[in-house]
Amino acid sequence: MTGRSLKGVGSYRKIGAAAISIAVFLLIWQLAVMFTDVGIVMVGPVEVIGRFFVSMVEPIGHDTIQMHILWSLSRVMTGFILGSVLGIVLGILMGWFRPMNALFRPLYEIIRPIPPIAWIPLSIVWFGIGEPSKYFIIFLAAFSAITMNAFAGVKAVDPELIGAARMLGANNRQVFTTIVLPSCVPHIFAGLQIAIGSSWATVVAAEMVRASQGVGWVIIRGQDSNSTVQIMVGIVAVGIVGFALAVLMRWIEARLCAWNVRGK
Amino acid sequence: MSETIVKVNHMTKKFGDLLVLNDVSFDVRRGEFLCIVGPTGCGKTTFLNCITKLYEPTSGEILINDKPVDLKQDNIAYIFQEYSTMSWLTVEQNVAFGLEIKKKPKDFIKKEVDEVLEMVGLTKYRDYYPSELSTSMLQRVVIARAFAVKPQLLLMDEPYGQLDVDLRFRLEDELLNLWRQTGTTVIFITHNIEEAVYLSQNILVLTNKPTTIKARLENTLPFPRNVTSPEFIKIRSEVTDLIKWW
Repeated sequence: MTGRSLKGVGSYRKIGAAAISIAVFLLIWQLAVMFTDVGIVMVGPVEVIGRFFVSMVEPIGHDTIQMHILWSLSRVMTGFILGSVLGIVLGILMGWFRPMNALFRPLYEIIRPIPPIAWIPLSIVWFGIGEPSKYFIIFLAAFSAITMNAFAGVKAVDPELIGAARMLGANNRQVFTTIVLPSCVPHIFAGLQIAIGSSWATVVAAEMVRASQGVGWVIIRGQDSNSTVQIMVGIVAVGIVGFALAVLMRWIEARLCAWNVRGK
Repeated sequence: MSETIVKVNHMTKKFGDLLVLNDVSFDVRRGEFLCIVGPTGCGKTTFLNCITKLYEPTSGEILINDKPVDLKQDNIAYIFQEYSTMSWLTVEQNVAFGLEIKKKPKDFIKKEVDEVLEMVGLTKYRDYYPSELSTSMLQRVVIARAFAVKPQLLLMDEPYGQLDVDLRFRLEDELLNLWRQTGTTVIFITHNIEEAVYLSQNILVLTNKPTTIKARLENTLPFPRNVTSPEFIKIRSEVTDLIKWW
């Protein structure tokens, strides 16, 4: 049995180590900008962080940085939720039902390696330059990752568990609902983690093409106006929100899958 | 009800051209503790999987209570080599799994689970998840889950093969206690001859592939058994000789 009481101490140590590594990185960055030629092409973290806070009250374009983040998040969430739902359903069906696998897997395997941003030109042709084309690109990013993980989760179900359930009298439906679905939850969460990251990366690319709000737009607008600090503000926003989303996903997983976390 | 619970008639199993089980026939009496021993890789697990229809025998018939095996009707529990616990369920939920599958009433399930958890000494760990348990506790969860459904036939496939010696001894004694308390028929597969002699009333010795039955030995040593007694050593040597010489 593991010592549960030590877990809290471990968390504080992790947070402390993370804080130290970030502080050292920022210090090196600031010193490099102040005392080397890096300062010619890059602004320091003090200026970027300062500008980040200023942009929370002074708009970039029409919106403050929080509003730009919310715009991007709304696009990510729309595409991510659609991609996740469809990906989980398709992945599980392909993993459990052979005819579904035979029917959909070849098509999926052809679509999977195509980078989502390669679809941008076609998505504009199909959906126009508004929101639906962005949702579509993000949907593809989430869908690819989650489908593969849900499929792998079903394939990784312990056959002895299935055998044990059948011995205890479980029919096919009961084996599916009581063994297969719960077994693949950790794989699905791993897929959701990957998908949320790739969705967030993709929204930035999608907003760089055509948008008037969002963090991708902030970055590309900074490039157009030759404002390194605005580009960095956009990049910092992407980093912070991406990190927050990953933490949120891990928190949800820890709550919903306590059994997969406790005792480790 | 017939005295014979399991009847295997001329069972043969082939995987492609590979003949694994060759014309195997034997009976198991109701309430009997039967151990099946044989060399590693001789097809012991295939043997059990055919009885439970996880594999379909190529030919021959297997009868339980004089009827072909029907997993829905026949109350059979199977304990595999690995500790096949459901990691997303607590100890209590794991033990209740078979009863839930059979849609037994809630208060009945609670009573049965309480009883069997007490028997295996896991009552105070009922809310723990498998990831929080030691190896011996995991094995007890699996045994408790099997006994909770009060199986008429319990199949065990080298359940203690990966345990260290003292833990194995303890779990063997616990299993014997459960068997005596419940009167369940047990078919126990092992490659450990001492374990087979310690547990069983009858020992089925298998040959190497293609597997047939080399001998069936009756083990009338009284319980509890002493592994150092001359009678115990005599039976152990007898089984060893049967496995050594083809």
